[in-house]
Amino acid sequence: MTDLFNPTEEHQVLREMVRSFAEKELEPQAEEYDRTEQFNLKLFRKLGELGLLGVTAPPEYGGSGMDATAAVIVHEELAAVDPGFCLAYLAHSMLFVNNLAVNGNDEQNQRFLPGSCSGKLVGGMCMSEPGAGTDVLGMSTVATSDGDDFILNGQKMWITNGAISDNEMGDIFLVYAKEKDRSQREISLFLVEKGMEGFSLGQKLHGKLGMRASTTAELVLEDVRVPSKNLVGTSGSAVKSMMRNLAIERVTLAAMSLGIARRCVEIMNNYASERKAFGKSINRFGQIQRHISESYAEFMAGRSYVYNVASNLDLSAFGNRVDSDGVKLYCSTMGKNVADRAIQVLGGYGYVSEYVVERLWRDAKLLEIGGGTNEAHQKNMTRDLAGLDKIR
Amino acid sequence: MKILTTVKRVTDPDMKVRIQPDQSGIVTEGVEYKMNSFDEYGVEEAITLKEAHGGEVVVVSIGPGAATKELRTAMAMGADRAILVETDADLDSDAVARVLAEVVGREEPDVIIMGKQAVDSDRSQTPQILGSYLNWPQATFAYKVEIEDGWAVVGREVDGGTATKRIKLPGIISADLRLNEPRYASLPGIMKAKRKPLETLTPDDLGVDIAPKVKVLNYEAPEERGAGEMVDDVDDLINRLKDEARVI
Ligand SMILES: Cc1cc2nc3c(=O)[nH]c(=O)nc-3n(C[C@H](O)[C@H](O)[C@H](O)COP(=O)(O)OP(=O)(O)OC[C@H]3O[C@@H](n4cnc5c(N)ncnc54)[C@H](O)[C@@H]3O)c2cc1C
Repeated sequence: MTDLFNPTEEHQVLREMVRSFAEKELEPQAEEYDRTEQFNLKLFRKLGELGLLGVTAPPEYGGSGMDATAAVIVHEELAAVDPGFCLAYLAHSMLFVNNLAVNGNDEQNQRFLPGSCSGKLVGGMCMSEPGAGTDVLGMSTVATSDGDDFILNGQKMWITNGAISDNEMGDIFLVYAKEKDRSQREISLFLVEKGMEGFSLGQKLHGKLGMRASTTAELVLEDVRVPSKNLVGTSGSAVKSMMRNLAIERVTLAAMSLGIARRCVEIMNNYASERKAFGKSINRFGQIQRHISESYAEFMAGRSYVYNVASNLDLSAFGNRVDSDGVKLYCSTMGKNVADRAIQVLGGYGYVSEYVVERLWRDAKLLEIGGGTNEAHQKNMTRDLAGLDKIR
Repeated sequence: MKILTTVKRVTDPDMKVRIQPDQSGIVTEGVEYKMNSFDEYGVEEAITLKEAHGGEVVVVSIGPGAATKELRTAMAMGADRAILVETDADLDSDAVARVLAEVVGREEPDVIIMGKQAVDSDRSQTPQILGSYLNWPQATFAYKVEIEDGWAVVGREVDGGTATKRIKLPGIISADLRLNEPRYASLPGIMKAKRKPLETLTPDDLGVDIAPKVKVLNYEAPEERGAGEMVDDVDDLINRLKDEARVI
């Protein structure tokens, strides 16, 4: 029985496999890794064995060659159990692996994709800086060409997978940098490897509200010499590849909100039918019914939107911006609201970790910020919509 | 070695089962279906044996057209090809065994590995009935299987402990929980499974009359379990087991 959410039998089998993996292997560790703010590298490598790390990468480089819908399914299922772990997965498989597979050349793909699809290498993407997030083109990391090489200087902030432990950095990064003495729009993309001289872990950030099972780090580039074979695409033209990858990033981030919302609806629905007050199940009270029914309807609306956009998303094209921004704008807030209602329905029990929804609530908030703030989506969408006089 | 293994499409065991108002069956609306978990152990064992001894794994399901999903899952785990005997009827164990006996007649496997029971009806009958139709030896509830020189040495879970049984092949083995740890269907496996052959037959094609021998009169939900009670000490427990529960 295929449908919008599982368009083929392969997608169905994939969803079942990831769900069963998440329930058996992610669930038992989620609370601990959240509490201790650690990244579970061992479990991450298991995703490699299952072919999930290269879900959209071509098979000739060790990937699984599946489509955007498959990526959405994986994120929904992982996030329903452990959004923090899922964020680390997203930064690796979407921001690094898919980004390189789409924008890199054959030699670069040969060099880095097999290792990152298997889980030997942990990858990430560095766009944001301490002084530039939404205003990404205002970045100050610069690349200066020097013979056949480039010299990179700057600081990157908020980098998911930037560290794999308190003092060890991730293995391989796609780093955006401005070309020295050229216009602000002339950005280049580089493969920067752990171990390159001058490339270091500034700090692993502590005290995050949520997504604590993923690491967030500051990375420092000090006269890092990067050979031209590590330049992805041509010099100064990376804005296009950035936009192309942001589309799948936002759709999969929206899929994470779906996972969070689905789990929260399940939890509040089950709880409300069992919990008794004033002699009846609390799901007989109108105010509780409103929490449950509105949450379900909003979840299904978001889910339909995300899978509809994913089914039309060509990973190698760009220009899908209204809807890739739109799904994240809608689903991030939807997921946060649904998690909030779940806590409300559970009362005091919702406020403690045993019942999971407090963790999902903390994790849900990030999705209104990371991968573009909601205000950024509103800005982008309105600019693009202004060019349309009719919506088909 | 040719290994035949079976999978049943069952309702998700983690969902609450609800009975239809007229008691004719369970409510299937909105219910998820999965591969029977005991069959996962069977499929895993079949693939492990193939990896050790070479040969082919053929996976068979009897059920609705949608059971191709469970067959694809088995092929994504590593089975080589699949046969669906398509029927929407709810077969009793005897009918399933009669259909399987015909499939076995066509395929002539060296060994059949099945789940010890299906988690929907929990009957645990089909492997045994199939053994009698084929007149093959059987070793049920396996926790360990070794195959050498045309014999299978099977460690079995039995009441109060374990037992070892040696059966001459061809024979039937039914899988219990401790047998192995079923692998996940990996993504490359899922993509490969797309291209593996899946043959669809009907009971008619096999010349099997699937008319039931067992008639189900009605379905009833078990009585709801009351809340537990804390007792003060062991003496209290013993007294209450004696006087109230009357079980000792
Ligand atoms: C846990 C976590 C993981 C992350 N992972 C990564 C990663 O792997 N790689 C990476 O490159 N980045 C990552 N980020 C960074 C993230 O993308 C940025 O935080 C985000 O883009 C916002 O940038 P900022 O924090 O600098 O906020 P700012 O851009 O300074 O925004 C501050 C506020 O101003 C608003 N604002 C800014 N401009 C406008 C405007 N024009 N109109 C209206 N309002 C505006 C914003 O919406 C926001 O409310 C991560 C962030 C977090 C928290």
